Amino acid sequence: MNQTTRELTYAQAIQEALAIAMAADERVFLMGEDIGVYGGAFQVTGDLVERFGEDRVMDTPISELGGAGVAIGAALTGMRPVYEFQFSDFSMLAMEQIVNQAAKLRYMLGGAVNVPVVFRMPTGSGLGGAAQHSQSIEAWFAHVPGLKVVAPSTPHDVKGMLLAAIADPDPVLIFEHKLLYKVKGPVPAGHYTVPLDKAQLRRPGRDLTIVATSIMSARAVEAAAILMGEGVEAEVIDLRALRPIDRPAVIASVKKTNRLLCVYEGVKTLGIGAEISAAIAESDAFDYLDAPILRLGGAEAPIPYSPGLEMAAVPQVGDIVAAARKLAGGRA
Amino acid sequence: MAVEVILPRVDMDMATGKMGRWFVAEGERVAKGQLLFEIETDKAAMDIDAPAAGLLRGVCAQAGDILPVGSVVGWIVAPGEVFVVPVSAPQAGPTARASPAAAASQDEPTREAPGEGVRATPMARRLARECGAVLSEIVGSGPNGRVQARDIPARSGAFDLQARQRRAETPRQGGLHRLWLRQGEGAPLVFLHGFGADLNGWRPLLGHIRSRRPVLALDLPGHGQSPHSGEADLESLVEASAATLAQEQVSAAHLVGHSLGGAVASALAERRGFRALSLALIAPAGLGPAINGAFLAGFLQAGDEASLALWMRLLVTDAAALGPALVKTTLRQRAEAGVADAQRQIAQGLFPESAQAFSVRESLARLQCPAKIIFGGRDAIIAPDHAAGLPGLIAQHVFAGVGHLPHLEARREVARLIDELVAAGG
Repeated sequence: MNQTTRELTYAQAIQEALAIAMAADERVFLMGEDIGVYGGAFQVTGDLVERFGEDRVMDTPISELGGAGVAIGAALTGMRPVYEFQFSDFSMLAMEQIVNQAAKLRYMLGGAVNVPVVFRMPTGSGLGGAAQHSQSIEAWFAHVPGLKVVAPSTPHDVKGMLLAAIADPDPVLIFEHKLLYKVKGPVPAGHYTVPLDKAQLRRPGRDLTIVATSIMSARAVEAAAILMGEGVEAEVIDLRALRPIDRPAVIASVKKTNRLLCVYEGVKTLGIGAEISAAIAESDAFDYLDAPILRLGGAEAPIPYSPGLEMAAVPQVGDIVAAARKLAGGRA
Repeated sequence: MAVEVILPRVDMDMATGKMGRWFVAEGERVAKGQLLFEIETDKAAMDIDAPAAGLLRGVCAQAGDILPVGSVVGWIVAPGEVFVVPVSAPQAGPTARASPAAAASQDEPTREAPGEGVRATPMARRLARECGAVLSEIVGSGPNGRVQARDIPARSGAFDLQARQRRAETPRQGGLHRLWLRQGEGAPLVFLHGFGADLNGWRPLLGHIRSRRPVLALDLPGHGQSPHSGEADLESLVEASAATLAQEQVSAAHLVGHSLGGAVASALAERRGFRALSLALIAPAGLGPAINGAFLAGFLQAGDEASLALWMRLLVTDAAALGPALVKTTLRQRAEAGVADAQRQIAQGLFPESAQAFSVRESLARLQCPAKIIFGGRDAIIAPDHAAGLPGLIAQHVFAGVGHLPHLEARREVARLIDELVAAGG
């Protein structure tokens, strides 16, 4: 494959993936609020309605329950719908459809049907969206067997994972951090996929492992560069896949570095970091731990509207540096 | 919420501690930072402050008890708070308490399951299992005395700390007292303390050194637990140090010397049969003509804690860097038979009339390895400008606002410089 690679934003990479999928497969179509003429709340779908028409880029009414239900129904009939929640927070209105229907129909019907639907989930804080538009609820869905949940952190990964999700026979939720939409990165042209169940090493290191999700892996890489200046070599693993979680990648890394820091934006308690910590405690990596596991997660509070408090409510680069420093402090 | 009062590690060698007096009785009110109890170590009694304000409750250790480092000895609770001794607490209490019988059998290795009641990381436990080490005999370098992987001797067979320790502690004719303060791999770091100090003075710095090399510290003749030969010149100090290194089979090392120890290190660096890989000289003696004689005289004369504290205050800019423990330890050490006389003799020989009777400038001019000279800009004992005119390859670092003990007052930075030297020196 002789592919060229360009710099695209995360949002452009998503749009490119959608266009490629729609061009290649007539069954693929998009649904969501304001994704047509308006181009999407975060301008991700852009001019796709002009390129593919209103039959394939469908503006839906303000009813997430209805929209998600239609998408799931379409998937059951063999279509490949991609439904955009304007904010992932609004998916709570469609919980019944996602959790009780999409996740379980294949099981309930003894494998007679598949639900190849993709839900796009703009997520996270940092844009002043306040408490009802800024949450990170990916762990809620990662708790549900029958769903696949991913949180790509780079333009390259979001394109490849979205294409993999559209091709996947089961329901996939793809969490897109809103602050990532404008982040640029290299993206190969054409069709490619990134596995939905594999973590990615972002930076090798020997002193501690930082397992991070979504935008936190970018912050962890930034933190690792700062730590390097202090002689602390942090290994950064971008989890990418939240269900299923790539346990072997995390376990292998912890066995190498003997220390683990989990960083995620969702509320700390009962979050992704709890699962990662437990996975290590249950694995043979336990006997390689040379310090207690640390977690950095979102505050036990709604995301505040005040910009200063909003920053303080989720881990920032400085928080990661400080936690890693503390964790690696006992290292000779 | 009840705050645990813990028997802290006040000394890196310490696996257990002996409780001294309580200064606050059960149920009494304490302020945060108030003197709470003391720990008796081999060398000194250490004062321990209250970790929080409130009422002292649930005291479960008494004077004379020998407890593992990190044991809970009581709690501080808010006034009016209902206090119930936490269920998990007693492990530190009665079982470990030294009844006369238990004290007598204290040296027997396995009264309990190995490692029980010891704070250790899972990795340290695994390594200890693999190499047959007994966790309760190991000094933890982690928080609250937690044993970490690096504390386990004979890790992958590379280094048998305990064997070296035993060897080092066995008195040898002519040898100086020395301790392997840390296990590791590769050529060791060798620490040489300054006049009037001993090898324990390096402990605060050690925690900041990231190099994974083994660390050996010596007590210079007439200091700490080393004998004094009676000779008071630099050459005899160098001779004794070299002989001791040879006994430890250290033929190449990164040398770190403070003050008088810096002069010893400089001279050692060009000794035949020994290879200095790098040289860190902290406020070294032997570079210039003068030294603060008033300090030396006052330091040597001071017979009680208060007067010694006044003189030792000259060593630092920030009084907080000089804890009461250091003064007490210095005084206690001086009380050992012969030490005060030996040090007076050494001072007379090496530093007569506020002068430095020796120079290591020529040694440094011939130096082959990477070297750094580290001074505090406000050193009141040896002027930092003594470093002027040395070979250009020797780096000079001056920490403004720091006194004669940069390894205490700027310990992070000094540790970093030492790490840089180790990296450069191979």
